[in-house]
Amino acid sequence: MLRFVAWRLAGLVPVLGIVLVATFLATYALPGDPVLVMLSDHSSNVEMANRLRAEYGLDQPLWKQFFNYIAGVAVGDFGMSYRYVRIPVVEVLSDGIKISPILALAALAAAASIGVGAGILAAIKRNSGIDTAIILILVAGLSIPNFAFATFFVYLFSIKLGALPVAGWGRIDQAILPVAILAIPSAAYIARLTRTFMLEVLGQDYIRTARAKGLAERVVIARHALRNILVPLLTSMGIIFGGLISGTFVVETIFNIPGLGRLAIDSVFARDYPVAMAIVMLFTAFFVLINLAVDVAYAIIDPRIRQRMGVK
Amino acid sequence: MTAATQTTRYPIDGWRLVLRRLARQRNVLIGGAIVLFVVFVAVIGPSLMMHSPEETDLFNPWSPPTAQNPLGTDKLGRDILSRLVYGARVSLLVAGAVLAITLTVAAILGMIAGYMGGRIDAFLMRFVDIMLAFPEVVIAILIASMIGSGVLTVIISLALVWWPGVTRLTRSFVLVIREELYIDAAIVAGTPTWAIFLRHLLPNIAAPLLVRASVGVGFIVMAEATLSFLGLGIQEPVPSWGGMIRDGLPALRTDPYLAIFGSLALGITIIGFNLLGDGLRDALDPKLQGR
Amino acid sequence: MRVLAKAFAGFLMLAAVATAADAKTLRINVTGDPAMLDPITYSELVAGRVLRNVYEGFTDFTPDGKIVNVLAESWTALPGEHGFRFNLRKNVKFHSGRAFTAKDVKYTLEQLAAPDTKAGIGAGYVARIVGIEDVKSGKTKELSGVKIVDDHTIEIRFTKPDVLFPIYPIWFMDSGIVADKGADWVRTVSAGTGPFKFKEWRRGAFVEIDANKEYWGNKAKIDGVRFLVIPNGDTALAQYEAGELDVLDVQESTIRRVMRDASKEKERQVVPRAQSRFLAMNPQVYAPFKDKRVREAISLTINRDGMIRGFYDNAAFQLHGITTPGVAGYFNDLPKPKYDPEAAKKLLAEAGFPGGRGLPPIDISSTAVFKDELTYYANELNRTLGMQVNVNVVERATFIRAMNAGEVAFFPWGWTSGYPDAMYYLEQMWHSKSPYNRGRWFNAKYDALIDEATATVDDAKRFQLYRQAEMVYIDDVGAAPLPMVASIALVKPNVTGARATPFGFDRFVFAEIK
Repeated sequence: MLRFVAWRLAGLVPVLGIVLVATFLATYALPGDPVLVMLSDHSSNVEMANRLRAEYGLDQPLWKQFFNYIAGVAVGDFGMSYRYVRIPVVEVLSDGIKISPILALAALAAAASIGVGAGILAAIKRNSGIDTAIILILVAGLSIPNFAFATFFVYLFSIKLGALPVAGWGRIDQAILPVAILAIPSAAYIARLTRTFMLEVLGQDYIRTARAKGLAERVVIARHALRNILVPLLTSMGIIFGGLISGTFVVETIFNIPGLGRLAIDSVFARDYPVAMAIVMLFTAFFVLINLAVDVAYAIIDPRIRQRMGVK
Repeated sequence: MTAATQTTRYPIDGWRLVLRRLARQRNVLIGGAIVLFVVFVAVIGPSLMMHSPEETDLFNPWSPPTAQNPLGTDKLGRDILSRLVYGARVSLLVAGAVLAITLTVAAILGMIAGYMGGRIDAFLMRFVDIMLAFPEVVIAILIASMIGSGVLTVIISLALVWWPGVTRLTRSFVLVIREELYIDAAIVAGTPTWAIFLRHLLPNIAAPLLVRASVGVGFIVMAEATLSFLGLGIQEPVPSWGGMIRDGLPALRTDPYLAIFGSLALGITIIGFNLLGDGLRDALDPKLQGR
Repeated sequence: MRVLAKAFAGFLMLAAVATAADAKTLRINVTGDPAMLDPITYSELVAGRVLRNVYEGFTDFTPDGKIVNVLAESWTALPGEHGFRFNLRKNVKFHSGRAFTAKDVKYTLEQLAAPDTKAGIGAGYVARIVGIEDVKSGKTKELSGVKIVDDHTIEIRFTKPDVLFPIYPIWFMDSGIVADKGADWVRTVSAGTGPFKFKEWRRGAFVEIDANKEYWGNKAKIDGVRFLVIPNGDTALAQYEAGELDVLDVQESTIRRVMRDASKEKERQVVPRAQSRFLAMNPQVYAPFKDKRVREAISLTINRDGMIRGFYDNAAFQLHGITTPGVAGYFNDLPKPKYDPEAAKKLLAEAGFPGGRGLPPIDISSTAVFKDELTYYANELNRTLGMQVNVNVVERATFIRAMNAGEVAFFPWGWTSGYPDAMYYLEQMWHSKSPYNRGRWFNAKYDALIDEATATVDDAKRFQLYRQAEMVYIDDVGAAPLPMVASIALVKPNVTGARATPFGFDRFVFAEIK
């Protein structure tokens, strides 16, 4: 098992390496001089420019800058922000890093419970009106972008009914709409997967046996069917998290939540590359680790797969 | 799963089975009709419009639907219908470009991985595994930081997101074909590898690959709209559905037409592509029948 | 699943712990994080919004543009010299508790001149003080033109006349703050004398200031002000409607909605903005702009009434030339720019470009705020004049740098006044020596008139010189004047004393929440 994890971890190195090089190039080999951008109105002041350039290490040869960058990233130091001059990137990120994971996890919890529930319901009530209705909602949930949903929800719940706040972050009621919007595509995706695998499982012999033994349908579903759909759901976690991360950007922008997603978009527009790139690195590392965790969990759950994946 | 378990999986009355197949047919038909219509609009539409999508009219902003502007106008008095129609072209061109790049890259890498096997295969697939479903916005931010927002950023980002899945698909096709007798024959005859790729592998995987890849068009359209919505994608004055929805959202209460028609166009198009895509996948993949 | 449940529970707890803003804290929106929070490097609007409540200068101005004495009790011109003697207010304390004295005035002026502090707007105000070059070059730290007479008297001498010096908003800071709190002081405290002091800055979320209980003047009636960072104007409006903001600084993208909503009439404040707007045509980058006829043709092509109606639902004012209503030296009887597409076509043909033929393609660029306008100009210039104009939206900091460097050919921009005298616009925007002459329109006659005005103490005479200079600019089409968008605010009925002014919001000293 350890070897398996180690092998997988080694496999992450090229990905992180590529992202590292790409973020470095994006940060340091851009058209235009970041120092001049930072100086704004004072860009003609050579002395100031040189000072700042030295402070940011931009006066060193490229290979040395790259080395410094990697050395910094290795210990969690992403340099200093361009927009907030002389403030470390880590400090700029410090608030957002507490927000986005909470948002994503809350949405995941909501999506998982709703998605699995709806999927099972659709599978059990197969070909009925309920099934059709659920499928229709699924198609809509997967097809209509969440920014379109957001408008409708904000209009209805915040402006028309006045039940929920429009934006912001910090109180529980401010989290309801963003979490709901963020959860929609994932819930639809999970429901679709659940329905598909549920149908497959329900057709298996052991379920028929269980049914034939006269077990209650509820017990059959809970004890046998549900356990078996966990594996395929688990393997889809990578995709689900990918969707959640993308959704974070949209939702944080719409609801003005000071998380990493909004910060990343703002930073791109403000050309604060060190911050934007640090967030790209963070999301990459997170995403890659999620995939690793999925792989490991998968191998633990299903020994056959471990075999196939070349683990002895 | 084998065909045997297939038929015995779940008790279904005969007539319901027929109905279900018909229903599936209906989905494909609806999806196909929507897609055909969108393609038609994108190709022919712009030349039929009364207004240019970029023509401003400051004395006619946020007009409700009229004879002059059948779907109303936006903040600059531009005709929403013209912009929607032109936006369809933009969306499809982006999707087409992404597909073309993706298919080319995926065909090459997939054939290499599937045919060569061994370490190359292992390495490529490991990489594909990790890149798979990597959030497009994160990649777009990386690209936008380097070359700025715009059409090119969207195309590169989405291609980067899509190639891994298609590569894996290609590889799975190649794995099957590699076992065919005629490949062995070609190898024995001393045909160079590149010729095997071109003459035997490519022609056999091209058609199914194309169809399967087009399943993803709906998601590409959605991803493009999302990036444009965030401001990382298509830039003014070129119309894009995502950008139109972004501009329309704030005015939803007083002037809802832009947001509503934009969302409708986008939603219906994606639903059309998804229905068609799902139907095609089901038809092509007997293993998935009944799901 | 259990992990998720735990995460969700943690989230609930976190949400419960986070407290709502205090009822007596005034909540208002700003478009972004301030770029800085100290009075030396201060150079942008959001920072100004906050700092105006925290720091004070010799004088301040009322919402209708009248000058009032603040930290200067009085001043007199030095006889026979260029300069002033200021008598400073006594019994004024900094937020640190230290007394405000002449030493702090000198320190602030020297900081604004120092070579390593990256001074902002304030650097321009100290440019005429004797000895400034020696400080700037690092030769000395002491400004020889500033003389401390006693703790509450200071003399400041200039190399050239600078009659407006007492009204420059130079915000004085505590000279002991660095020794006390270190070079990073700005992250934890404020060093002013104002009615509010710094409390907290949560990047991307808000900046909060607290009422200064020790304030020397009228103390604030509220506990504090929270400036919420809301980049999107529509989100801000929605938050105001949902009662999450007490005061809304209405952004341009929502003006139409706010103006059309009859239910908001009572909460609405519409005042002209002290902002000069123009479409710059840089002759150094795009040669055809050297010809006055080309510049005039472009100006004639812009339908300003259409813009005022279509874009801003009549909440905009057409400027005559450079100056804006609400500043001293504004004349409302100067000729207004015309809209005449036919005349424009003829002028362009006379200049040698009939139907736009022979004109190289050009980018019209600006920041995202101007996106709609850019799109309109590009389309209109193409339709009427046959010019090939591409829209180019650029990030703000990059764009400002490029404008200052004179690299941008064709752009709409606005210049917001820092004090209520037309000199601010006239000198900074279009004097050939100004670092902010971004359109690079140079005119010797204009320069001479401004130079003369700078040295003219008599207001009436000075304003006549302003008038002549502005006419030179209008006649030569230095740039195409654009409609100035009104400053619009919404204030909840339970809030009094919060006033929008041409220069942003009045200090929140009089604001009250019922």
